[in-house]
This record gives sequence, structure tokens and C-alpha cells, in this order.
Amino acid sequence: MNAPRQLLRIQCIARFLGTPIQRVIPPTGAHLQTPGSQHKYGQLLRPLHCSAVCSTSRPSQTPLEKTVEAETLKKDKSLVTHDDLFERAARDSKTKADFNRVVDVFSKKDIRRRGHVEFIYAALKKMPEFGVERDITVYNKLLDVFPKEVFVPRNFIQRMFNHYPRQQECGVQLLEQMENYGIMPNVETKVLLAQIFGEKSHPMRKYQRIMYWFPKFKHANPFPVPHVLPSDPVELARFSLTRIADDLDAKITIYQYPSTDITETGEEVMRPHIVGIQSPNQRTLLAKHNPSRPVFVEGPFPLWLRKTCVHYFLLRADPIPSEETVEEEFDLEMMGPEQSLFYPQRLELDLERDMGDDFRFDVDDVKEGPVYAMCMAGQGDQVTLSQWISGLQETCPILGQIPTVFRLESGPRELQTTSDAQQTPEQEVETDPIIEEEPLHSQRVKQ
Amino acid sequence: MNVNKLFGLTRSVSFGRNVFATRVAQKGDCVHHFRSRRFIRSSARSLTYAKDLFLGKVNKAEVFPFPEISKEELEELNQLVQPVEKFFNEDVDSKKIDHEAVIPPETLNGLKELGLFGIQVPEEYGGLGLSNTMYARLGEITSLDGAIAVTLAAHQAIGLKGILIAGNDAQKAKYLPKLATGEHIAAFCLTEPGSGSDAASIQTRATLTEDGKHFLLNGTKFWISNGGWADIMTVFARTEVVDKDGEKKDKITAFIVERAFGGVTSGKPEDKLGIRGSNTCEVTFEDTKVPVENVIGEVGGGFKVAMNILNNGRFSMGSAGAGMIKRLIELTSEYAGTRKQFNRSLSEFGMIQDKFATMALNAFVMESMAYLTAGMMDRPGVPDCSLEAAMVKVFSSEGSWICVSEALQVLGGLGFTKNYPYERYLRDCRILQIFEGTNEILRMYIALTGMQYAGKILTGKIKEMKKGNVGVVFEILGKKLKDSVVKTVDFGLTGKDGVVHPSLTESAKMFEQNAAHFGSTVESLLYRYGKTIVEEQLVLKKVADVLINLYAMTAVLSRTSRSISIGLRNHDHEVLLTNTFCKDAHFKNNFLLTQLQKNSPENNDANIKKIAQEVIAKRAYVCSHPLDRTF
Repeated sequence: MNAPRQLLRIQCIARFLGTPIQRVIPPTGAHLQTPGSQHKYGQLLRPLHCSAVCSTSRPSQTPLEKTVEAETLKKDKSLVTHDDLFERAARDSKTKADFNRVVDVFSKKDIRRRGHVEFIYAALKKMPEFGVERDITVYNKLLDVFPKEVFVPRNFIQRMFNHYPRQQECGVQLLEQMENYGIMPNVETKVLLAQIFGEKSHPMRKYQRIMYWFPKFKHANPFPVPHVLPSDPVELARFSLTRIADDLDAKITIYQYPSTDITETGEEVMRPHIVGIQSPNQRTLLAKHNPSRPVFVEGPFPLWLRKTCVHYFLLRADPIPSEETVEEEFDLEMMGPEQSLFYPQRLELDLERDMGDDFRFDVDDVKEGPVYAMCMAGQGDQVTLSQWISGLQETCPILGQIPTVFRLESGPRELQTTSDAQQTPEQEVETDPIIEEEPLHSQRVKQ
Repeated sequence: MNVNKLFGLTRSVSFGRNVFATRVAQKGDCVHHFRSRRFIRSSARSLTYAKDLFLGKVNKAEVFPFPEISKEELEELNQLVQPVEKFFNEDVDSKKIDHEAVIPPETLNGLKELGLFGIQVPEEYGGLGLSNTMYARLGEITSLDGAIAVTLAAHQAIGLKGILIAGNDAQKAKYLPKLATGEHIAAFCLTEPGSGSDAASIQTRATLTEDGKHFLLNGTKFWISNGGWADIMTVFARTEVVDKDGEKKDKITAFIVERAFGGVTSGKPEDKLGIRGSNTCEVTFEDTKVPVENVIGEVGGGFKVAMNILNNGRFSMGSAGAGMIKRLIELTSEYAGTRKQFNRSLSEFGMIQDKFATMALNAFVMESMAYLTAGMMDRPGVPDCSLEAAMVKVFSSEGSWICVSEALQVLGGLGFTKNYPYERYLRDCRILQIFEGTNEILRMYIALTGMQYAGKILTGKIKEMKKGNVGVVFEILGKKLKDSVVKTVDFGLTGKDGVVHPSLTESAKMFEQNAAHFGSTVESLLYRYGKTIVEEQLVLKKVADVLINLYAMTAVLSRTSRSISIGLRNHDHEVLLTNTFCKDAHFKNNFLLTQLQKNSPENNDANIKKIAQEVIAKRAYVCSHPLDRTF
């Protein structure tokens, strides 16, 4: 008795898939049911199960709700409605609370949740604007918009074929967006998915795949960057410099804290921050530097921390020409065989390592000059950087005898274009809406 | 069967007699010679035992028969030992010394009266003039108190030894008499803050004054035993030396420095884990004026002096460890015999018995190694026993640690309390693995010295092999084939003209097998690594361990053969110990040698290195906590 009905339904689905998407509004799936079967299986009549979030008593209508009502009334004719809904709801402010309010309003206005797929798509699109794209609770709330149990397949045929494909697709899309933002679903997500689509649906599969891979990749990056970077430029510089100089002995020195002085003439003089890093090895190398050869202050070089770009400067020298490199002489009496006090540091043998045991790679070494120190500064001009150099002189007095050449490029563009000098480049980039809106599906490092 | 036994016995008797005959003859010849040359000599001798093992050769003439001392010497020694033993049992309060971290003056005076401050100083300078072997015997007793043993060792094993072996007659006449009586105490100042075991990087400097009569000494020395109360110090410092090309070079020179020269200050004594009664502190020299006559040896020749002092002084740790373990066995066996658990005496439990066997074996092996080495050093001529001495030190320091820990374990919780001496012994003997060259450094020394020796001889052959010389390759293949077919290696230790007693044949065979295998392993290591083997510390550690085991096997085989032959009391127990130890060492060696093969699955070195690198790169334990979650 079931079979003919299912067949009919399959035809319906086929037809439905063939038609342009726009025509299947409202997409509750109810219209796919043949009228005769409705009563028998009671799918439409079953009350929609809502979670606690949705089933709270309706407060008195707000203006927003009224617009929603109006929208839904109009909606039979127009297509792009939910986007407007968000736009209108958040004309003044765009916060999580506003976003949640829109979702609540939508959930409460109609027990049948007509148009929820469109609503969810629209909401997903608007999430970054509201700054909630990394909030698992918001995703769960959006999932909660789906009516419960309606889309759960009830027999093997339904299970076999794509049951309520648009809804499932929408659910998958939601999970996909979570994935792209590196948000790990939680147990609530799982419960919701099970209630909405059943245990073996496509969204559930997607959830399982995410849960398989995400934990494995969670610590794939051995040098994680926090989502929220320190706002203090000194702290940010400290973080960035230790990130570049992967030497646990390297010491951070703050040569100057940022401050503003007022001169006698009443002018405001900005004193930019200068934060430097130098390891003991670099210090000894610098101490051995031939004072007749110059050292260079170069920069700025960019360093990206997620979406933030900071700039750093180097103190480096040209590679030491081969005629000047002095082979470290070793005293045979002290290092050689039979001679050493405790054990010979080298053997006097005419035997090299056998080829079969030589696992070294043949690497073409590019001769590079030594880097003696690094710094980050609030301003990339020569005055600021020479302050850094004079600070370095305290620990490396030889620097006073070495000619220092400043090879500075035009400087970080962000820095110079900023009218407000106080704004650091990173802050500027962070608020840059163009980058925010870029979909970062593939390039992102997923966290 | 019986006939065989009888035959064996007669043979061994004759063998023993042979041994004796030669010994006596030798002694007779050089008795005069011997007396005058009891003190330490240094520099190289052509015949070496341990180094030849690297070539797969067993130089049995060097180690068989086991060295012995003459009857008169033994009597003299026993006369000395008795009062010393009595003194240590009755007048030394080790607990108090440990607690108060100072040796009381009356104890020190007692030691001085016994002559223990000049054991090896010749009689003409007022010392006891004992040989290395006799010194080792006294070391067994002095080791009953770690602090005293270290104080005495710092005084005479290293402190005054520079004067003894490299000083000129004037220096000896000036300093040795007072040092021998203990009126002056000596110290050895080599280590510096910036150079622990890396003695080549010492910074203390001695500059010649303008009149050329004095050196001005400036610098700081660290961890100087007896540094607080020493009157005479052997100090090593850099001096500028013009070498034969006319270039100025920094070389190390040894000086005798009296505290009375001025400018010498000692720091606060270090608060140590063990040997608390001994005085260890920092010594600073500030423009100390040292007359040029006080240079030991020649200017710029200090390195060799330091090397000889250190290399030859280590052997006594073996007898010291053995003395300590013997005492511990007495103490713990009494407890194990009386203490009842589950209605059985503790000594009936297998696991407790295991501990006693370990202690007995270790004491036995240490003793054998120490006296074999001491005997080799006492032989006329100029023996080079630095390798052997280092092996004794490594083996006995590690063995002592294990044994003291096992002894403590027998007592359980009681051993952990301060009511019993075990915790003190445990703390005291921890230093053995650290001072006089850490065991790691000594293992490197043992392995590399041997590798250098073998490498010089084998280089030609290996080069031919690498060139693909068919003749050499076939020769080697043929030798390998023969070894695999015949399976028996014979160095002539057993059988006709054998030097090992027949009842130890099996053990001797095991030793021979290991020795042959070791020789071929060294060859293949040289083939594989050449001179870059210096960087392969994990390989060298295994090489050193095999060699130490081989030397220990030699020592016990030699000693027990002698014991059986001359019918020493309880020599059957020695046979048992020898066979047990040799079997154990044989399997350990087999495992180590297998690990040393190329692509050996037993070898975990690559992983070990990687683990360490990852941990060190992070400077922390790398793993996440087992309770951590990712979702």
C-alpha cells in the first residue's frame, strides 16, 4: 500500500528538482504530499516540535515583528525578503543580540516556520556582518529554526532517497559555514540535527565528518595565533617578535613605551613604541662583527597574523666574504687524540664516513649575512630606528664603531596613509570591511 | 670422568706452580728495582690490554696470571690495615660527620697519625711509600666514610700527585714531607666556573712578571675539594708560550701554589647532597705571586700533568666501592636473616636473595677489576692503564649505586630513615658517577681512545676494502665464512697452555666469542663512520659498555683462575660468581653488539635522538595531558 505513494512522491521530487529553485516557495515540503495521504500519515498535522528557545511565550509585538509579519504577507510574491529583514532589524546596530532577536522573531511568528530555509540562508550570509560568525550558540539557534521531526525519514525508501533535499542541503550549508570559520559543533548541534533530520541524514553525516577531522586538525599548527590579538601595540610586538625569533633564549627589550609629550610650544609629540628582540647568539655574533663593514637596518617587512599585518625591521650585515672568514683554530694538544684531558674531541684518522651511512642531504647553501637583531616600532622612520640602534649599543658597545646604514623602504603603507597616527596598522586592517567580507573557504587555516 | 677431573686438577696445580715460579723469579730480579719505583709512573707502554681488544686481540700475557704482591708486602699491608680498620670502626662517627658537615679535628689527627695522608709518598719523604695495589687495599677501608675517603683522595690521589709524578727533586723535598704527614693539606684546582668537564676552556691566567722570577696568577676555580683548608694547591692556568715557530700561544701550565703566597681566598663550602663532611668550595686567586721554581714539569706542559694525574688516579674507586658493598652485605644480611615476614625469614624470599647475589657479584667484579688494574700499574716499566682505570671507575661507580640502592631496599622503609646508614651511603656514593670525569665523559674517553688506536692500524685495510680491492674483500669474506662455519674462536685462553682454569672453560669461551665479535664490530664501525665516529655518542656508549664488560670478564677469569690454582679459601664460590657474571655479561654483550650492527632492529638510537631533540626544542615535556580533550 505504501509503494504507490512513494513512487508518486519520487516523481514529485524529480519534478521538483527539475524546476527552477525560485518556484518552490514556500519550501516546507508540504506541497509535495499528495492530499490523500495527508491524513493517513499525519505528517502535516503533527505539531512542529520546537525547542525551548522557540516555544517561549510570545511577547507583545515589536515594530520588528510587525515588519516581519508584513514581510511574510508580501513574501508570496517577493523572493529576496529575509535579507531586508536583517537589514531593517539592524539599521542602527549590528550585534549578537540584534541577530538573535531577528531569529527569535522569525521563529515565533509562525508555527509552521514558513520560509525557514530562505531565512537560514539569509541569516548565514548576514552572520559576519553581525560579528557572530564564530559563535556556536548562534549556529545552534539557527539550526533550531528548522521544524523538528518533520524531515526525519520514517521508512527505508525515504531513507534510501534524498528525503527533503532542500532542507538537508540547507543544514549541510550551515555546517559548512561553521567548518569554514573553524567552529566545532557541540553536543547541542548533534541533538538538534538528530531531531531535525534523523540519525543518518546528510547533515548528520556532515556533522560526523567534521567531528572526525576537526579534532585531528585542531593542533596541526604548531605556532597558533590567537583569534583575538593583544590590542596593546607593545604586547602585540612582543608576541610577533617571539613568533619570528624561534629561540627560547632570545630576550625582548622594550626600548621605548608609546607616549605623547606636549612640547613648550604646545605641539603634541608622539613617541612611538620600540620593541626589540635579540638572542645571546646574535649578541656574540654582533660582538665579532668586523667594524669596518657596515650593518644595515632594513625594513619594513610584513608579518601576517591572521588578518592583521604588522611590520618589523632587521639589523643585518652582508655575508662575510670568504677571505675574511677565519677558520676556528683548534689546538691539537687539547682536542686531538691521546691529548685531551678527558676525551678526544676529534680523531686523527684518514677515514671518512662511509657512503652507506651518510644520510646528509646535498643542500645548496645560499650564503646569507647574519641577522643581529629585530625590532618593531610604532613608526618606521630613521629617527625612531636610530633610537633602537642606540638602545642596542648598551649591550653591544661595538655597534658604536660600526657604520649603520638605514635602508628603509617607503614604510608600511597602512601606517602612512592613516590620518590618525595613533591607529596602528593592525587595527586598521582589522576593521577593513573588504577583507572581512571575503569568503575564506579554502585559504583559511581552520582552527 | 673422575680421571678427567684428576687430570684437570694436576694440570691446574702445575699451572699454579708455573705461575708462581715465574712471579717469584721476576720478583727476585727486580726486588730492588721495585722498592724504589713503587710510586706512579706515566706515559705509554707498548703492550696494552684494553686497546688491543679493539683489534679483536686478547693480550693474555698482560692480564694472566692475576697480579699479586709478595709475602712481605702482604704482611706489611696487613699490619697497616688492622689499625686503620680499628680506627674507622671505633673512632669515626660518620653520622656526626654527615650531620655537621665537617670532619672533627681529632678524627683528622687520627688519620694523620696512621699515615693515611701520605700513603703513596715514598718513605724518604716521610710517607708510607705504598704501591698502587696497597693503596687500593687501604681504599677499601677509608671508603667506609665517604667524606673522609674524598678528603684523602683529593689530598693525595690528585692534590699532591702532580708533585709526586712530575715534580723535580727540589719540589719534592720541599713539599712532600709536610704533605705526607698531613701537616699541609693539598688540593687540585682544575675545574672552573665556565669549564666543568671541558678542561680545555680554562680561563685562569698566569703572567710572567718583568723580572722573570714570578708568575702572577689570576682566576677562579670551582668545586675544589679541600679548597677551604688546603695549604698547597696544584693549580692549572694558561700561560703564554712561544712555540717553535716563534708564535705566541696559550698553553696550560701546572703550578704549586702555597696559600702563604697571598691573594688566595676560598669561598663558602658548598652544601652538598652527599660526602657532606668533605670541604668543597670556590678558590679565587688574585695576583698570587708564584715563583717560577714552582712550575710542575715545564711551562706549557700542564696538560699532560693533569691528564696523568687524573687518568691514573681512578682505579682506586673500584676497591673503595667493593669495600663499601662488603660492609653493606654484612649489615643487610643480618637484618634479612632475623626479620620475619609471613612466618618466613626475609632471606628465604627469592627477590631478596636476588639482591644479595647482585651485591656479591658487583663487589667481586669491582674488586677483581681494581686489583688487576692496580697490579698492572705496579709492574715495572711504564704501563699505560688509563683506559683500564677509567673502566674500573665507570663500572664500580655504577655498580655501587645499584648495590647501595638494593641494600636499602632490603630494609624497606627502615632503610629510608636516618636511623640507619643506608641513606647516607646512597647519598655519598652518588658522587662517584660525577667526579673525576663523569661517567659519560669517561665512556667517550674509553671508546674513542680505543677507536683511535684501532683506526690507526686498520685504516689501510679499510681503505683497500673501500676501493674494492678484490683480494682484501675475499680475505674478509673468507674469514667471515670460516667464523660462521667453525663457530669457535680460540685465543688460547683454555686448552693446552691455557691460562684460564679448566673449570672456567665455558666462561672463557664466552669471553673469547665476545672479544672476537667485538673486534669485528669495531672494524665495521670504523668502516662505516671513520673519524666522524666522534659524533656518534650513542654508538660509542655501547662500544664502551662492551669493553667494560669484556675487561670485567677478564678480571674475574684471571682472579678466579689464580684462586683455584693456589687453593684460596672458598674459591668454589668464586667460580660460581665468575660463571654467573660471565654468562650475564656475555648476553649483555651479545645484545649490545647486535645493536651495533647496521640496520639492526634492536637499535633504537634514531628514535632516542629524535625524542630528545623534540623535548629539548620545546624545553619541556611535549605530550598533552592524558585528560586533555579536543572537543
